[in-house]
Amino acid sequence: MLSAALPASTAFVREHLRAPLTLVLLVAIPAFFVLIFASVLGEFADALGGDLMAQSATAISAGWAAAFLSGTLAFFQVSSSRSADRRLAAAGLGPARVAVSRIVAALAIGLAVSAVAFVTLWLRSGIGHPFHAAVAIFTFAAIYIGIGALIGAFVKGQLEGSLLVLLVFSVDAFSGPQMTSNGAVSWTPTRNAANLLIAAGGAEGSPSGDWIGSAAVALGALAVALLAFWFSARSRA
Amino acid sequence: MNGPSGAPSLPVKMTTLPQPQLPPSAKPSAAGAVLRVRGVEKSFHRGVWPLRRRIEVLRGASLDVKAGELVGLVGENGSGKSTLIQVIVGLLGSDSGEVDRPERLGYCPQQPMLWEKLTVAEHFQLYGRAYGMSDEELATAEADLLEELQFARYRDYRTEALSGGTRQKLNLAISLMHDPALLLLDEPYSGFDWETYLRFWEMAERRRDEGMGILIVSHLLAERERLDRMYELCEGRICTC
Repeated sequence: MLSAALPASTAFVREHLRAPLTLVLLVAIPAFFVLIFASVLGEFADALGGDLMAQSATAISAGWAAAFLSGTLAFFQVSSSRSADRRLAAAGLGPARVAVSRIVAALAIGLAVSAVAFVTLWLRSGIGHPFHAAVAIFTFAAIYIGIGALIGAFVKGQLEGSLLVLLVFSVDAFSGPQMTSNGAVSWTPTRNAANLLIAAGGAEGSPSGDWIGSAAVALGALAVALLAFWFSARSRA
Repeated sequence: MNGPSGAPSLPVKMTTLPQPQLPPSAKPSAAGAVLRVRGVEKSFHRGVWPLRRRIEVLRGASLDVKAGELVGLVGENGSGKSTLIQVIVGLLGSDSGEVDRPERLGYCPQQPMLWEKLTVAEHFQLYGRAYGMSDEELATAEADLLEELQFARYRDYRTEALSGGTRQKLNLAISLMHDPALLLLDEPYSGFDWETYLRFWEMAERRRDEGMGILIVSHLLAERERLDRMYELCEGRICTC
């Protein structure tokens, strides 16, 4: 399965990296999030009665950068290639192998995005627990691969779909841990990963509950992404 | 399996016909059907409840294509020609009916379904894998088709940089590269200049003579004389032509 899907995955990654704007955003968005969005997030947390420290806001912003880029790219992977993927599946590759190719490509892109976000964070403020932070940032990316692919599978319009990704992202980002005084939203997709990242930024360890929770959500999101890619490449009823 | 309405629909039989084995000298039309379509029905739903409405596109379409036959499919806009082709290819499911077709099938859609950022050569690579071709078969097919359709100099161009006609050449080449037993062409020459259009028909006739079954969707009555037979779709059914 993987040997047949791998050449397609390589082609799909190449397809994304050949868009000059994507390459620019790959560097610009982590820089923007870590340098600017972090302080906005901190001010929002203040206004909402939360206790998000500046250092935590900076750390968590690297995760948001990875999430935003991975989510939008996963959305466009589905949205812009729907008909071509279906034709390739019907030609003999099959929807399952197309889906595997797409998820491998999405993970490769997510890894690259996470690496850029991690390096940006490191350069900006240093990281207490680099390994923990790297895992947490990639978890953000994995979760948003699921969200982006799911929206791409069901929303055909590119404008509507990208706005929906942005809406989910905004609600998630501004409802995260330490953002409000009363914890109005008790669960968001990235809550455990955000806890990990905040702790890693401050050189603290994390409880096992956050590790298990973030791993479970990330794996669930990747399973959703796989289904979404399969759904887009399959024959229509 | 449920139909688009959510109501249970009849199961659709999609089977694979054995590949016809033709001796080189044999008259291909004697080899039997490579495509048999019986009573295919397909409807779509548009709008949201309570304004949701059902549009019947195919109402029991049936047709046959034999090996070594060049068959036309005509009909007015919206008569269901492309839908029928997509049901045969397997891109669309049908509400009921039966489609028997060979496993080795070539499909050239009306709108090229290509990746904008990939090159012509990369498209050949991807489809070569999908068709299960060896590296050698792939290289030979690619070189032959680039030569035959005269777009070898665009081999390393991305699709987004190609003209409409050259995209269509790639679209057609992809459908031909694995030498299918049945070729389904949905208005394959849009964007072709006159020379390429004539070359397209030479290619189609040569492959027909070699035993390939070809079903081509067409609007142009002038092409009638090039076809062995022609079906017309009227209100979702095949009518006399």
